[in-house]
Amino acid sequence: MCLDSQRELPGRVADAEARRTSLADQVVVPRLFFVSIGAAVAFQIATTAVGLAGAGRAPIWLLASGLVLFVAVSAAQLARFRQLNGVWLGGLLSRVVGGTATAASVSYAGALGGATWAAFVGAWWLVPVAAIAGGAAYALSGQRWMRRYRADPAAHSRGESAAWLLVLAILALTFLVLLVAQR
Amino acid sequence: MTDLDPQIQTPTRLRLMTMLTAVSEVEFAALRDGLAVSDSVLSKHVTALNAGGYVRSRKGVHRGRRTTWVALTSHGRRALRDHVAALREIIAVVPPQ
Repeated sequence: MCLDSQRELPGRVADAEARRTSLADQVVVPRLFFVSIGAAVAFQIATTAVGLAGAGRAPIWLLASGLVLFVAVSAAQLARFRQLNGVWLGGLLSRVVGGTATAASVSYAGALGGATWAAFVGAWWLVPVAAIAGGAAYALSGQRWMRRYRADPAAHSRGESAAWLLVLAILALTFLVLLVAQR
Repeated sequence: MTDLDPQIQTPTRLRLMTMLTAVSEVEFAALRDGLAVSDSVLSKHVTALNAGGYVRSRKGVHRGRRTTWVALTSHGRRALRDHVAALREIIAVVPPQ
């Protein structure tokens, strides 16, 4: 490679990186994306807590309704995201919607535990409080991921592998089934 | 010193592959607009990179019309990382003008 060509190299690399930044900057989330995901998570936490604490008196559909709503809202919002941008981000699926980001998973576990405990001891007013707090933390964690993605798209665009997500989903469902079986 | 990858030597391919690191998958028209090239130019580059195992492409639908979705492969990601590392080594030793 001649010296003149070598002198063009910094510009080439900078230009390629600028286009990557530009692509990431153009990625937008659909309206109410984080709010709807957070609300669906809050509903799922509340229905799971009430369903578990209600023991045999709580219908099984109450437990299922939260999960079904969460899956439906997530699928609709991800489809809107893909249609709006013409791109797919594995990180958005796993970190934001799947809640594998540390803040999302810790806050979700805490909120679900708190809401379930509150339902078992009959502190019903605390169930929606814990559920809403869990949903809000989940949504905020998603917004935080989006800011991180824009700052360093190459590091955050991909999430966990599909196989790992499947394992996590199976573990979560198994845990829920075991809880229901204990009712 | 790591060698430069001849498949990623051209500026357009370097831009294309660098852009792909920002997403898991991107639709053809979005990639074309980001690169500011024609359909035929992008198609030619994607075909060549696909043949080398650097990217994978699949037919799909976007906004109700048939299109192609393009993604970086693991091999492509490694090749780009090594190529950029080699470029930076060269840049570091090039004397200022």
